[in-house]
Amino acid sequence: MSPSLQFDHVSKRYRLGQSAPSLRSLLRSKKSSQGERYHWAINDISFEMEPGHSMGIIGPNGAGKTTILKLLSKVTRPTHGEIKVNGRFSALIELGAGFHPDLTGRENIYLNGTILGMKKSEINARFDEIVEFAGIGRYLDTPVKRYSSGMYARLGFSVAAHIDPEILLVDEVLAVGDMAFQKKCYDRMRLLTKEGKTIIFVSHNLRAIQSVTSRCLVLYRGNKVFDGDSAEAIAEYSNIIRQAAEEYRNDEEIEKGISQRIMTHTATIDDVSMVSEEGYPTATFSAGDLVKVRAKIKFDEAADSPVLACRIQQPNGTVVYDFTTLWAEIPVQKFEANTVVEIEFKLRLNLVEGIYQLGVNIAYNDLSRYYDRIDRALDFVITDTKGGRGIADLQADFSVTNIQPLDLREPVG
Amino acid sequence: MQITVLNDIKNHSDLLLAWTSRTIRARYQQSILGILWAIAQPLAMMFVFTILFTRIIPVDTGGVPYVVFSYSALVPWTLFLTSITDMIESLVANMNLVSKIYFPRDILVISVMMARLLDFSIAFSILFLLLLYYHLPVFTKEWLFLPLILLIQLCLSLGLGLLGSATNVFLRDVRHLFALGLQLWFYATPIIYPVTMIPENLRPFYFLNPMAGVITAYRSVLIYQTPPESYLILSGIVSVVILIIGYIVFKRLEPSFADVV
Repeated sequence: MSPSLQFDHVSKRYRLGQSAPSLRSLLRSKKSSQGERYHWAINDISFEMEPGHSMGIIGPNGAGKTTILKLLSKVTRPTHGEIKVNGRFSALIELGAGFHPDLTGRENIYLNGTILGMKKSEINARFDEIVEFAGIGRYLDTPVKRYSSGMYARLGFSVAAHIDPEILLVDEVLAVGDMAFQKKCYDRMRLLTKEGKTIIFVSHNLRAIQSVTSRCLVLYRGNKVFDGDSAEAIAEYSNIIRQAAEEYRNDEEIEKGISQRIMTHTATIDDVSMVSEEGYPTATFSAGDLVKVRAKIKFDEAADSPVLACRIQQPNGTVVYDFTTLWAEIPVQKFEANTVVEIEFKLRLNLVEGIYQLGVNIAYNDLSRYYDRIDRALDFVITDTKGGRGIADLQADFSVTNIQPLDLREPVG
Repeated sequence: MQITVLNDIKNHSDLLLAWTSRTIRARYQQSILGILWAIAQPLAMMFVFTILFTRIIPVDTGGVPYVVFSYSALVPWTLFLTSITDMIESLVANMNLVSKIYFPRDILVISVMMARLLDFSIAFSILFLLLLYYHLPVFTKEWLFLPLILLIQLCLSLGLGLLGSATNVFLRDVRHLFALGLQLWFYATPIIYPVTMIPENLRPFYFLNPMAGVITAYRSVLIYQTPPESYLILSGIVSVVILIIGYIVFKRLEPSFADVV
């Protein structure tokens, strides 16, 4: 069977910095002028997909996932390499990107549909199905600016999923919808695959990737580091993000960005690791696992009862948990100059499935400054949640406790 | 280079229409006067210039009321001015779309120009009423030239619009440059004064400005019942050349639009 998608040694370079590219250089030739700074969003990536297959793409932020989708959908062109796409495609890089807030749902279905490449007659033919799938019937003639973000996403997905694409590209766009709708979307994607369509699915939701696609690509900093079975890819991914966290920490430039004035660096945090209950360093946990966060702190100068803290964040910056020895009223002694101290936080990871970032810091006892602060010392993954979604794993259970016929109920009042 | 613009328009005609209608709806949504604003600008300018050039500095209009004389030029000029201004912003204003979904980008440019044609036809119907009011003949056989004149004007506008919108993505100086240029252009075009005020020996140069030929032609046809002067051919040639240049520049820059953040 001939491949529906082909990526042949594709690289994409973006220009860095504020200055606009000179028009002349763009017009004159494709050759780049010297002395400009570039960023390789993806680097020498090759893969092929056949009709009726689906593939997930995972990777930390900035790995190049969206760039691949943009290249496939021809929004942007590769710097090197060749891309072949056989068949009509639909890309959902942002749901409802073509929506106009002042126009009604009905008007936007037509507008968005035509932007995505449908003819008016095709939209007419599928109109009822689109409305039904999105579940916005009553609000069809309301301007979409009055829609909730969930409705907005539902309508966006519904339009895109009904354009009958041979190739469907889905970016991290379903997170806004509620659970029932997400499930509907995943079912739809599985159905489309069965019908012989090609699907590429980018997500942070590892479970969704695993349930929708059998193959998965792992990207890291623009490079393909794994291409194979989804379950293995997810394991590989946790290695990658550990590596990512290491490099992030060593990245001088980023460190400079985090306001240097508030860090004295007279004590420095080193070797942050997460150790499982059994004592192995790892970055993948199941919900409810007990973990020890270990770090070494090198004191160049003496520090009198510093405050030690560790914090867990979601990739979007939401603080999940922030712990300091000050708030917990745990006394910390004075550390002498030229010593290396090993510390350990014990945490129970009652978190739901997802990716989290661990930060560690050490602050002056009056909290005026930090000795050292690493906001993203490590990334880790929680894989097994027994059903819950959100942030905290509250370990809910369920049972029906009583059933009574209605007429036996005591009268109210 | 293969000319694909007609293919783009053909294959995406539904998108072109949908985007044109979106542009019109969005423009007049939540406004009380709505589409009436389309005639406000040429009408207001007509009043100002009529007072100026009949009461203060009278000009020779060849026996036609100055109101009709100026309005017949202001209506096509307003189309020219507003469509170019809109086209220049059309890509930048929709960068979130351009950077996320692929479709031929010239659709965005062409549709805002088409949206301005609605304003034009409304303003034009007022001109029609003015002609009736002043007992000037309407629907003369010279009016058959109107589609041709309009076509030349649209070629010129689209050429400049493609050039301006594509370069404006990279350099926002372009919009200011065009705004200034159009302001000066207004005075280089016989809108508020008759072309007879230009010395005979300078006219070949004067008519290198394609809008001079276009506006003069509108006036000949609409209010003097004479066919357009041969200068319209020059306007046509210049306009088509500008359209080709604009198109080539646009297609050359198009692949890089989405890379500009």
